[in-house]
Amino acid sequence: MSGQNNGKQTEIEVRGLNLWYGNNHALHNISIDIPKNSVTALIGPSGCGKSTFLRCLNRMNDLVKNCRIEGNVRIDDKDIYSKEVDVVDLRKRVGMVFQKPNPFPMSIRDNIAYGPKIHGFSKNEIDSIIEDALRSGALWDEVADRLSTSALNLSGGQQQRLCIARTLAVKPEVILFDEPCSALDPISTSKIEELIMELKKKYTIVIVTHNMQQAARISDNTAFFLTGDLIEYGKTDQIFENPKMKPTEDYITGRFG
Amino acid sequence: MSNRKYQEKAIESLLCLSGVTAVVILFLICIFLFRDGLALFQNYSFIDFLIGTKWYPTSQPNQFGLLPLLFGSIIVTFGAIIFSVPLGIAVAIYIAELAGEKEADVLKPLVEILAGIPSVVYGFFGLVVLVPLLQNILDLPTGQTALAGSIMLGIMALPTIISMSEDAISSVPRSIKDGSLALGSTEWQTINKVILPAALSGISAAVMLGIGRAIGETMTVMMVTGNTAIIPGFPDGLFVPVRTMTATIALEMGEVPQGSEHFYALFAIGSVLFITTFITNIVAEYIKKKYKFNMGAGQ
Repeated sequence: MSGQNNGKQTEIEVRGLNLWYGNNHALHNISIDIPKNSVTALIGPSGCGKSTFLRCLNRMNDLVKNCRIEGNVRIDDKDIYSKEVDVVDLRKRVGMVFQKPNPFPMSIRDNIAYGPKIHGFSKNEIDSIIEDALRSGALWDEVADRLSTSALNLSGGQQQRLCIARTLAVKPEVILFDEPCSALDPISTSKIEELIMELKKKYTIVIVTHNMQQAARISDNTAFFLTGDLIEYGKTDQIFENPKMKPTEDYITGRFG
Repeated sequence: MSNRKYQEKAIESLLCLSGVTAVVILFLICIFLFRDGLALFQNYSFIDFLIGTKWYPTSQPNQFGLLPLLFGSIIVTFGAIIFSVPLGIAVAIYIAELAGEKEADVLKPLVEILAGIPSVVYGFFGLVVLVPLLQNILDLPTGQTALAGSIMLGIMALPTIISMSEDAISSVPRSIKDGSLALGSTEWQTINKVILPAALSGISAAVMLGIGRAIGETMTVMMVTGNTAIIPGFPDGLFVPVRTMTATIALEMGEVPQGSEHFYALFAIGSVLFITTFITNIVAEYIKKKYKFNMGAGQ
């Protein structure tokens, strides 16, 4: 089925997206419009294809062997799978935060500086980017006095916010979150959620989550995936209070998953 | 029931005994090596041994200067490092990061085979192929030079450096690599700026062990370096014959009368070698342990 958004300008437009891992047809004809400056949650049971779909949006699936993709994905009205697109530029525009915090084994400062450095920002620019990114990542106050210590000494929640700040430092338009809180405790989780709510003012956010309360709390729109199909997509309130499809209702009321 | 218990106990003791035996053998070797090595210094000055520049073991009076042999070993090893470290790390990067699964499956066993070739075969190859080649290309009076030894030792150290570096590189978590790529870095930027620094400790340990291997190697260097006990200059010393500590022991041990000063001098050299490789190994282990890649408390 195709999902239409509600009024806001569309940032990501997907039409007829099919994906195969070898012979395994993992995504079936997905069409969806994701609006700008909003949070869109992708929910569904394990193996439903929501993470796979997310990874189509910054072409991380390119790294998977035997992965074949058909269909059309447009971000900011540019086809990201066209031959002219440099995947490096794409990933600069579409950042990603992973399930487990994955800071680089280097200092906090170098973690943030890494992205801007490879994209050719000057040293002076990078210094101000570091502070901006850490402030936007709600981490500055906690680490300002120890920027040159190893990022691996931070707590899990701090590491994840560092990874978010690292993503912000390359100035993306879209940020993809792949279950960013699944390895974190409740307090760290709520901090990340607050941060995401704040970030949607400037960025378009797509988040995969297993946690339905989380989807209900932070997202504007919700898409429900099941066994590689997009079953239902709409306003989060509507999906949770008044789902149109039977499987959606079964899932959100906890009958399976 | 108690029968089974005895069986368990017996097997445990047997295994424990085997472990103890290995340690005892090491200690016995140490004791004999150092005892006979130290025996030299009853009649010969320790300082003369340590800073002597001449190795004339059979002249009158005898001169047992360590330096020509030590520098022989050092220059050959140094050359081997220059040659094998960049090549070894490059191969490791290729196998771990760039090669497809099939290529890696072919390459890895081939590298292992390189480690299994007997050193005398390397020496033979060096003698009949490399030595004449160097002589012709570089227009030297003889091709039996430190350089020939360096190249052969470099080849022999490659398997150690490649396998261990490859392990170190492969053990950098996939998530780190994904994180870097997701920021819009290229494959090479990711390898160069993220993966290699993360694997640096393992790679350093690999290099140390490769060096250890090169210093201790005997047969190959003896066959290709010409064995002239003169302190080599640098870097022109690479193009003249040299003699390493190991080759000296191997060449002379068969001919010395047991219990003579010369005999003890060879043991003294053996002790120096032992200490050198021992330290190299300890340092390698230390680096490996201390900086073992660790995702920290957050994971």
